[in-house]
Amino acid sequence: MKQIQMTKTSPFSLISTKKIIQINDVWTSYDSKNFALEGINMSIDRGTNYAIIGKSGSGKSTLLKLMNGMMVPSKGTIKIDYVTPDINDKKFKKMMHTIGYIPQNLGLVKNVTVLENILIGALPRLNKIQSLFKRFPENEIQEAKRILKLVGLFGKENRKVYMLSGGEKRRVAIARALMQKPTILLADEIVSELDHVTAREIMNLIADAQKKMNLTAIMIHHDMQLALEYANRVAVIKEGQKILEIGVEGDAIVDFQTGDMTTDQIMEMYANDSKK
Amino acid sequence: MTPKNNIIIGIIIALLVVASYNVDADPIKFVEGLPNLVIIVEEVFAVEPKYIPTALWAMFETIQMAFIGTAVGVAIALPLSMLAARNLNSKFVYAPIRALLAAVRTFPSILWALLFVIMVGSGTFAGVLAIIMYTVGFVAKLQYDAIETIDSDPMDAVGSIGVSKTQLIRYVVVPESASHLLSQILYMFDYNVRQTSILGLVGAGGIGFYIINFIKFFEYGKAAIFMLVVLITVLVIDWVSVKVRDKYIVKSQHGMEVTAK
Repeated sequence: MKQIQMTKTSPFSLISTKKIIQINDVWTSYDSKNFALEGINMSIDRGTNYAIIGKSGSGKSTLLKLMNGMMVPSKGTIKIDYVTPDINDKKFKKMMHTIGYIPQNLGLVKNVTVLENILIGALPRLNKIQSLFKRFPENEIQEAKRILKLVGLFGKENRKVYMLSGGEKRRVAIARALMQKPTILLADEIVSELDHVTAREIMNLIADAQKKMNLTAIMIHHDMQLALEYANRVAVIKEGQKILEIGVEGDAIVDFQTGDMTTDQIMEMYANDSKK
Repeated sequence: MTPKNNIIIGIIIALLVVASYNVDADPIKFVEGLPNLVIIVEEVFAVEPKYIPTALWAMFETIQMAFIGTAVGVAIALPLSMLAARNLNSKFVYAPIRALLAAVRTFPSILWALLFVIMVGSGTFAGVLAIIMYTVGFVAKLQYDAIETIDSDPMDAVGSIGVSKTQLIRYVVVPESASHLLSQILYMFDYNVRQTSILGLVGAGGIGFYIINFIKFFEYGKAAIFMLVVLITVLVIDWVSVKVRDKYIVKSQHGMEVTAK
């Protein structure tokens, strides 16, 4: 069985109990025959660090795309701050400005500088002329530089993205998302390919930002240990279904799916599932 | 060699024979004509250096025509390529634009030149207009192909911020396709310089006007000077293109520094 080194208290604390994301019986498919997600239910509190783990192809990334409106469910409802994600809806389009999304491959514009990539996060706050001629107001440039310092990239603002290391690129993607002044951060396996030390540096960075900005983070991970170290809640997705939802309370792991599993039973179930 | 391969090779040879017969390809005639080539080569080597200044001036004029044609053509092609890209527009927008660009590409530049000679009279302006049309057709096509192959990740990530389409084009599409565009501009300028050398055939100015007239009057020595200037110019442009490509294109596409030797 996998050994979990639990922290006494999670670096994240619940700020408000108000539900920011509500997913009710959501089904979705890419080809109308096979479902990528089957009857998913989730309820996420504001300020939570919510981890989603599962194997490749289990439907984790699809779930994130549903949350930022890039996909629509075939059945069921999703509410983000009580608004249905729909990129054609004006209210949600405005909300998108404050939903930071970091895809698995980071989605950076590789031929421009680090600073220009970060400033993309400020685009919704610019008028047409400013954005057409790349005339960012001084306060936005100062904010971008402050975030650069926060993510440990100060002095590298004029480097082209393709010149950076994997860890540095992740910091740029996080900085771009933070530049949006987000209320929600959706991150798809951004630390999966990193070494142990760099992965924790990146996670600590997000934890710090979350505390300062009252941010709700929904992060996809491969590693249960990492998820339990940083998240308040962890959902395990298998073949499009949520098979487990656990919460971290002090040293204990609490079963939120059925409410009657012990920590040992939960870890045993996860360990057995990982072997398959 | 399998029997299937033998059959395919047999079919290709049969097609070659039939096609050669249809186009009156006659190897004997070719061999018989070789002595004529020797006469031309002898005359070509009897170059007349006093025509060098005229040839250089004509080449300068040709380069200017190609420069204007390429610059204006690219300026028109860019917005059209954005409208013709399938990943940026609906079918109702990209389909008619693509049809229009296909129509523009149907005519080779020499036909455009002929059309503009009729419209605006013979001379360099007709040549410039022909080059513009040809450049629009090809650069727009190559550029919308390049836009469609842009990595979808930055498009999705920036699109998910809720930015406008103009912002998406300005901050993702343009920088991500810039290296392709630079490559196409260099190729198009190189091509247009060579192309402008031919447009003189239909009276559309440039160095080709001199070359075709000297050839018409069997003055191969004079024509040779002009052709030599074209050759050297094309080689120089090619050399500059390689340097620019190494500095700005290869590096950005492969994420590495390239040191020019």
